[in-house]
Amino acid sequence: MQYSESEHKRLARAYRFKKYGVAYLFLSPNLLFFFIFLVIPFFWVLWLTFNSGGILTPTKFVGLQNWSRVLQDPTAWRSLLNTLYYMAIAIPTVFAIGMGLALLLKRTTKFVTPIRAMIYFPTLAPIVVGALLWIFVVHPDFGLFNTMLRLLGLPIVNWLGNPATALPTIASLEVWRGSGYWTVLFLAALLALPTELFDAAKIDGAGAIRRFWHLTLPLLRPTWLFAIVMATIWNFQLFDSVYILTDGGPNYSTATAVWYIYKNTFQFDKPGYGAAMSFFLLIITLVLAVVELRLMRKKA
Amino acid sequence: MSSTEVEVRATAAEAKRAAERGAKSRKIAGISVSYLILIIGCCIAIFPFLYIVSLSFKESTSLVSYPPKWIPDPFYFGNYTFLLGETSYIRWAFNTFAFAGSVTALKIFFDSIAGYTFAKMDFPGKEILFTFVLATLMIPFAATLIPAFLIVKNLGMVNTYWGLILPPLASPIGIFMMRQFIESLPKDLENAARLDGCSEFYIYLRIILPNCKPALAVLGIFVFMTQWTNFIWPLVVAKADEMRVLTVGLASLKGQWVTNWGVIAAGSVMLMIPIAIVFIFFQRWFIAGSMAGALKE
Repeated sequence: MQYSESEHKRLARAYRFKKYGVAYLFLSPNLLFFFIFLVIPFFWVLWLTFNSGGILTPTKFVGLQNWSRVLQDPTAWRSLLNTLYYMAIAIPTVFAIGMGLALLLKRTTKFVTPIRAMIYFPTLAPIVVGALLWIFVVHPDFGLFNTMLRLLGLPIVNWLGNPATALPTIASLEVWRGSGYWTVLFLAALLALPTELFDAAKIDGAGAIRRFWHLTLPLLRPTWLFAIVMATIWNFQLFDSVYILTDGGPNYSTATAVWYIYKNTFQFDKPGYGAAMSFFLLIITLVLAVVELRLMRKKA
Repeated sequence: MSSTEVEVRATAAEAKRAAERGAKSRKIAGISVSYLILIIGCCIAIFPFLYIVSLSFKESTSLVSYPPKWIPDPFYFGNYTFLLGETSYIRWAFNTFAFAGSVTALKIFFDSIAGYTFAKMDFPGKEILFTFVLATLMIPFAATLIPAFLIVKNLGMVNTYWGLILPPLASPIGIFMMRQFIESLPKDLENAARLDGCSEFYIYLRIILPNCKPALAVLGIFVFMTQWTNFIWPLVVAKADEMRVLTVGLASLKGQWVTNWGVIAAGSVMLMIPIAIVFIFFQRWFIAGSMAGALKE
């Protein structure tokens, strides 16, 4: 059967239309939820920043008032700095421990699976459970830390009650819970590295430390890139453990960005104020991620 | 050959042997130190869990005893009976499984079909859409928390399963995972089916899905664990006692002033036991799942 040229074109168009239609149909469930729960919220949060009024009370347009009040709010700044301080303690520590344990695990040949499983296990605990567990570790009366200190004959510390130690104590929970994840991730990356390069470097007389700095680290760059960006995004959202352990105290020493957003929105009923902070959080996270990506690219 | 020459040679050989022995013993020492550090790491990782198992079998009044009694004496089961009898723990456990299970089932379907589309089909706007999906990985959930809550509230879904389940569906990682995996499947299979006149959905259901069971298992564990540990979203959207999930319920047991620590210990133990059992049998899948994000490069 012969088709005329216009007929042929029409059929081709109909075929393409159907094919593309199927593709979009297959994507539609995901795109629908992305649209409702990511795209709309993204613009809505921006709109909310220009309004006052609560979840219960009617909204009122107030322009940039929320923005300027957030910028002048010492607690907002405090919670941002606390979050950065927490990240500065927790992220390098989990990376160092994770990389250290991964290097050790790579050298060993026996019992790798059970050791890896035990080191990884704390990651499976929800942060809430980790935080409740940490109460038993840092409780001034019956906590593990103080039990140890007493056994050693040292004075006990009120870990979460002291503004100087409260945030590092919360970071210690993340170190305990998170190190296993990075160990497993770094170990997988280490095992995927080509061995020939390392053998060649060994023959050329490069010591273990030089091999690590000049071969292992540069070769692991894609893993680092992922690890640093994701650790920044995840840890910036520190909330669960603060909510359980200290609720921001004592004296706002453990107030974090997401905790303060939660407080303002759902307890003080100031969603516009919370939204302005959410928007700052979004911008800061994106800037940090982009800067990290840039820095890592340049280094290579 | 002079006697001194023989002596020199003998000492040289001895020195070489000694050096070899030294290298070997250094290596053994190195491995031993590695194991020692790793075992200390394991102990630090596991000890807090054992500690709360011990606490959960003690009466709250005897928690403070010093010197500490590591093994409870006598074993006290009151914390567990209180938890199961006087709190909504069983209901919370049911809610958690309903919530995490539904999100997992839906995500497995949505992400595998979207992964298939991105991996194997051509359509206009594919690159832009995929870049968009990739970019959403950078949006912290906390930033969209407030409007997401308001949307759920306007839809009348606060304190419902729908309110819990629907927003977490907007997450991109599974799409990468599935696209990555499906791209690696040979094209011949689907092309043969296409020549036979099979529909795209048939190809997805009968050819692609059966061939990506391992990826589906990894995705399933990853999604389930993410929601099982989720806290802030259920806290915001399902506050009513009978709608709480385990994490929120457990947190609610920590009172403002008086807290029954033995009960909290028991609740934490019961929450971890199913995870521990499943983890022992499916360790490999868990670890693969936790690296889901890293595989996207």
